[in-house]
Amino acid sequence: MRAYQDMVFSTAVRLTANPAQAEDISQEVFLRAYESFENLRTSPKVGGWLKTVATNLTLNHLTRHRKRWRLFSEIFSEDSREDELESAAAVFDTVLTELETDERSALVEQALKRLPDHQRLPLVLYHYEEMPYQDIADRLGVSLAKVKTDILRGRVAMAGLLAQSGVGAPSDRPRLPPNTRGAQS
Amino acid sequence: MSSRNQIDEKLERLVGQVLREQPLQRAPNSLEARVLGELAARARLPWWRRGIATWPASVRIPVIAGCAVCVPLVWILSLWLAGHMVTVAAGPLASLRDAARAATSFGTLTAHIIQSVPREWLVGGLIATATLYAALFALIAVGYSLLYPRAQYSKAYLT
Repeated sequence: MRAYQDMVFSTAVRLTANPAQAEDISQEVFLRAYESFENLRTSPKVGGWLKTVATNLTLNHLTRHRKRWRLFSEIFSEDSREDELESAAAVFDTVLTELETDERSALVEQALKRLPDHQRLPLVLYHYEEMPYQDIADRLGVSLAKVKTDILRGRVAMAGLLAQSGVGAPSDRPRLPPNTRGAQS
Repeated sequence: MSSRNQIDEKLERLVGQVLREQPLQRAPNSLEARVLGELAARARLPWWRRGIATWPASVRIPVIAGCAVCVPLVWILSLWLAGHMVTVAAGPLASLRDAARAATSFGTLTAHIIQSVPREWLVGGLIATATLYAALFALIAVGYSLLYPRAQYSKAYLT
């Protein structure tokens, strides 16, 4: 369990952005693993199994509370401008080239945590879990176009949050999308 | 390839690289103790309060066999009971038929009343209802757009 607990917890906390919920989900993952102990003990795919169960349990947990905002987030979604994308790319470039690993890690996790659910979920599934767009759309029960828009806007919003944390020059700061502005001050 | 697509791809590559290089987050120290505690609590439960898959074979097999016998038995018993009750309950069934007839008459009466209402009133009522629903929906949408960022703000700082 010690070998995998950080991986399971990271998977859950990046999706939920809530350490308490992530701990509950991690506990459930390991209890299920214990139930399948005989099969898993000799399996070389135990890490993959735990990650899949952690992702599925987290998504099930979030889906229960997600239906009420889904409709309105569809209505208010909008496209990103080219200059926003350029500024966002510049911020991530700075993060990669200028920040020390520890500082970068803390800032990125903090920014990810502050993204709204409808942007963080597809972003994490795409970049961490390496799920294709269509699989994310099917899993979250939204359209393919919405997944693509939310991921794109999530990247821009995350760059905005990183810029607010002091990454990059002030003139490089991208304009933040309206649905994340409340989390900045 | 357009400039927009190039920027999209660059941003995707950079974000992917930043996120992939993130180290795993440390699980709380309490997690292991919680899991072990829950396993111990489950181990203390008597066998009949755990899942049937963990029951002793000497109990599980007779229970499964009993269930397999019960299903057709209940089906046959239900058919026999239904046939028996139709004979016994002929009187009450007649009363039920009368009640159904009365309900049908009431429905017919209601339909006549609705037909006697001018068509303009009905259409007007439908339009008014639809308008009120649309206004309510617009109100909720405006409320959501105003309040949702605030909810995100609260959530980000509470968690």
